Amino acid sequence: MSDPELKAKVEEIIRDNEVLLFMKGVPEGPRCGFSMRVVGMLEQLGAEYGAVDVLPALEPLREATGEISDWRTFPQLYVKGELVGGCDIVEEMFASGELAALLGLEQPEGAEAPEPERLVPGGSQQSPPMQLG
Amino acid sequence: MADLEQVKRLIAEALPGSEVEVVDEGGGDHLRAIVAAPQFEGLSRIDQHRLVKAPVQHLMDDGTIHALSVTARPAGA
Repeated sequence: MSDPELKAKVEEIIRDNEVLLFMKGVPEGPRCGFSMRVVGMLEQLGAEYGAVDVLPALEPLREATGEISDWRTFPQLYVKGELVGGCDIVEEMFASGELAALLGLEQPEGAEAPEPERLVPGGSQQSPPMQLG
Repeated sequence: MADLEQVKRLIAEALPGSEVEVVDEGGGDHLRAIVAAPQFEGLSRIDQHRLVKAPVQHLMDDGTIHALSVTARPAGA
């Protein structure tokens, strides 16, 4: 059973951000390769997004998202309140242009799902990374 | 350390008629499951992935598998 207060905060953050990424670390310093790749793709699209670093409350957040979305691994990308998926789904959708379409953005020419080393630094996210718990 | 054959078998048993391959993408605990299954018909990607992850969730929960990426294809693709 997840912490009701944390779960409510998670639901609120998902509602309040059109694009929301639960990730390990922060966009300027991802702490896992999958999180780094998702950030890289969002940056290539020039997307604005909120980011939550799950590391300070990893197990409680797994429980909360497990109940909310039946999904317990991170990163998790939410768009308009719906779980899109983790890195593997985001990469498929990025390569096909579906992610750009979903976000209402232009697919960059020659867009490629990034290798971890080619992370684009800085951020076009709309708010500082949020921490829960 | 995850047993690739075990993971493959668990997924294949949960999805009759599927074709399953499981490969190690690094270190023995970052795996990728490549699955074509009739059960994926009409499902969103995330729901297809849920079907693949469900039979091995206990291995993720106990840390045997650190990460499982999924490539899901409709049956016959």
